[in-house]
Parts: sequence; structure tokens; C-alpha cells
Amino acid sequence: MIAVILRKELLELRRSPVLLLSMVSLPATVVAVPVALLAWLVHAAPEQALLFVQDVYGDRAPGGAMAGVAASLARNWLPMFLVLPIFLPILLAAQSIGGERERRTLEPLLATPVATSSIILGKSLAALLPALALTWVAAALFCLGVDAVAGQVLLPDSAWLFGTLVLSPLLALFGNATAVAVSSRVLDPRAAQNLSAMTVVPLLALLVFQLAGRIALGPRFYFALAAGVALADVALIAVAVRLFDRERLLTN
Amino acid sequence: MAAIEAHGLGKSFGGRPACREVTFSVERGEVFGLLGPNGAGKTTTLRMLAGLLAPDAGRARVAGCEILAGRAGGPELRARVGLLTEAPGFYDRLTARENLVHFARLQRAREPERKSDALLDRFGLAEHADRLFAELSRGMKQKLAIARALVHDPEVVLLDEPTVGLDPEATREVRSLVAELAAEHATIVLCTHHLDEVERLCSRAAFIAGRLVAVHEIRRETLLRIELAAPFQPDGLRALCHSLELKGSTLLIEPRAAVPEIVAALVRAGARIEAVTPHRDPLEDAWLQLLAEAREP
Repeated sequence: MIAVILRKELLELRRSPVLLLSMVSLPATVVAVPVALLAWLVHAAPEQALLFVQDVYGDRAPGGAMAGVAASLARNWLPMFLVLPIFLPILLAAQSIGGERERRTLEPLLATPVATSSIILGKSLAALLPALALTWVAAALFCLGVDAVAGQVLLPDSAWLFGTLVLSPLLALFGNATAVAVSSRVLDPRAAQNLSAMTVVPLLALLVFQLAGRIALGPRFYFALAAGVALADVALIAVAVRLFDRERLLTN
Repeated sequence: MAAIEAHGLGKSFGGRPACREVTFSVERGEVFGLLGPNGAGKTTTLRMLAGLLAPDAGRARVAGCEILAGRAGGPELRARVGLLTEAPGFYDRLTARENLVHFARLQRAREPERKSDALLDRFGLAEHADRLFAELSRGMKQKLAIARALVHDPEVVLLDEPTVGLDPEATREVRSLVAELAAEHATIVLCTHHLDEVERLCSRAAFIAGRLVAVHEIRRETLLRIELAAPFQPDGLRALCHSLELKGSTLLIEPRAAVPEIVAALVRAGARIEAVTPHRDPLEDAWLQLLAEAREP
């Protein structure tokens, strides 16, 4: 039954060009802007600008000032690739239950013998898989772009590999479970989307602090984040299933 | 054993009762009407029978599955019931066929593709099967929704307002579909506020107005209405009638014999006849009378 729901959700997504465009536009920006900035710094910025960036972030690389800047960019931009897997599933999952209700497809769905857990898992996977795929493609393009501009292989390093392969799925699950739980209670899909999107605020704050040179997130932080998010995921999935009140969804 | 047995079903939302004391039974192969004005609790009753809502009071058995107070019917019940919801409720970006196959799979139908194609064909939707649901007419959408209610060969079919919002042509098509199902001895509960629909399709109907008011047998036979000029004791006529009712100087007869034979018997017995007219027992009269009784304190 999970596969049946997943297949339907993906088919609907494939036929929603506007939604697909909105999902692709954020990763495209997250890749294009920093790589273009790096290219400008490397090819057009004066040496003093490179040295200034190095001083702010304190990164030194064997390739000189330019490699140091590229290393800074790689390190500081990683949290943005952790925001993506949270944010992208929200675009889909926040619509999952409230959207069904708004389109009046929820009652026929609930009238079938499908278990609540199957509905939630099917819809969650349908939000998770495209979001993760987009995140990984974007991360690969970013690494290729940085390496191409730097003229040497800087990325992916161990932090990037851990971030994209371990943290991203955990965060995607977090964003999705939050959106499904919110969508089960807040029946207006737009309100559900806005509320769910609040989950990216802490990560964005970390990104801003890091870009401002106020903090430097290292491996210890990412390990701790992974452990915390994994625990939160388990709790959130249980909450999402519990919050899915069939009667309330049908009658309120 | 009856296909549906409901005993004292009741449901409230936020302390406001939607329906209460709903008791009726539906035999296998029977088409049973649930009649009532808007907001009378018909849809709530249907949702309880479909396993979507748990009753606050009472109990029911539908297709062999128990529904108890505080406990909605489970997946087993939902697999045995086909529900036509008030709104068609399909996915706009999927074609008619994709929608039907999707729900057939969710309903664990055997051979979902083949079954869906057969129903699309039967309901005259085969040539529209590859059109997006959003592009279908209202009537086609409703027929597709009825097809969904049947796609898993349910033991009981619950139809919630099958003709609401349809134009006359689509209404006629949907009614003839329901009549076809009735002719195939499907067990159907038809929830509507159209009395003529119940009169045409159902053998019995429950009147609901917040609570169950009565279960009424639908009479399709045309009665004979005989106006008499003077009081008369018609006892000698009973052999020629299935039923006989004298209301003042009006005699209502469900004839067993031919009309001239009955008239001749009456004249022989000394009755003075003023008029003989065919008479139908309109459901509307019964409904209005029951509603008035229900509203009395």
C-alpha cells in the first residue's frame, strides 16, 4: 500500500510543473550563486579581497589564497545544503494531508482499508525521495563547480560527505515528519507550509553566524546534530502517526 | 443474516448531536433509502456504517463486521464496503483510468487494471479513460466515483447523494446505473433528500431528522381510490383486494382482481359510487406527516 501511495504522489508531482520548478529553483540558486561568487573572486577580485576573506575565516590551504577562499566557501556553505533537505520536503509534505482535505480526496482515501501508518509513510517517502535526490544532485554540482573554479579537488571532503550522505537524509526526514504532523492538525495547507518552514530557522541562523565569521561549525557539531536529529526523527514520526486523527480530519 | 443491522446509532460533534437513535436493518440484495433534509444526519450515519466515524452510542454490524460505540469499523469493514462520497474526490492531475486503478489497488481489488477497465467500459467512460480527471464533465466524474465504489466488489454499497449537483441528463444516467445495480441484487444504501429517487429505486426507506423517525415501506403498486356517496361496509370486498382501507367515504384498495370486477362487486353490494380513480401512495405525504410528528414536542 505504501508503494501505491508513493507511486500516485510521484505521478502527481511529475505533472505539476510549477511545483517542480519551485523545488528546483532553490537548489539551483544555492549552487549557482556561491560558485559564481567564487569564480569572480578567483578571476576578477583583487588579491587584497582574497586575503581579507582568508583573514575573516582563517582558512589556509596549500594552494594559496585562492584555495583558502575556496576552502572557506566549502566549509561555510555546507549548512545551506543541510537547509535544502529540510525545506524541500516541506513544499510537498505540508500539502499532503491538508491538500487532500482541500481537494476532497481525503474521505475516499480514508474509506479504503489502508492503514494510517501506510498513508503517512507513503506520503513521506513521496516528499523525501525527490528532496533528497535534488539535494544530492545540487551538492554534486556544487562540489564539481568549486573544484573546477579552484583548479584542484577540494570537495567533497569528509565533512561534506558526512553532511550530504548522513545528515541530509536525517534532516529531510525531520522536515518531512514535521510537515506531516503539522499538516495533520493545521488543516489549511498554506498555514501548514508556513509553520513547517519555521524548522529551517535554527539552521539558517547557524549559517548566518558562520558566514559572519562568528562561529565555526566543525565535525563535532555535525556529529552531535546527526545524533540529535535522528532521535527527533523517531519521536516526530510517532507523533505524526498519533496526530493523524481520521475523524477530526473528516469532520472539522 | 441482514447485510446491515444498526441499533441505536448516535453521533455528536462538539456536544451537538448529528444523529441519534438510528435503528434499521437492510437485507442482502435490498436497496434501502436514507431520507432526510440537509443536516439531518444522513451522511454521518453513512460514515459510521462505512467505518469512517466511530459512533458515540449504539452499535452496528455491516457485512459481518462489528461497529461499536467509540470504535469505528476497521480495515476489514472498509474493504467490504463501497462508499460513494458526497464529492467525487479524485486527483485532477491523474487520468480517469489512473485514478480508478489507484483506488482499486488501495481497495485491494483483484486485477485492479482489468477490473477498472471493465467498469470504465460498463459506465460509458472507456473513451474518456485517458483524459485528466479535471477535464471530465460533472456527470462523468460522478459515474467514475460510482465505479470506484464498486471496483473491489463490495458486499455493501453506500451511496451518498449520488445525483446532487448533476444536470437532468447526468441525473438520469446515474439513476439508471443505480437501478442496474439494484437489478443485480446489490445491497445498497442510498442516502438522499430526493423523495422521487427513493420512490423509484428503494424498497424501504428510513426517515432521519436528527434521529430516526421511521422506517417506511415503499409501495409502488397503484391503488384504487373509490369515492362513495354514502357510508358503506366493504367487508364483502376483501376477497378481491390485497388491502383495503376506508377513510370516511373514501375507499383505498390495493386490488387483487380487475377494476370492473371490483366495481361490479361494490354495486352488487349496494354501494353508491361517485368516482373511481387510480391513486398512488406518495412518499412525500408520508414524509411530511412523519416530519410534522417528529417536530411535535
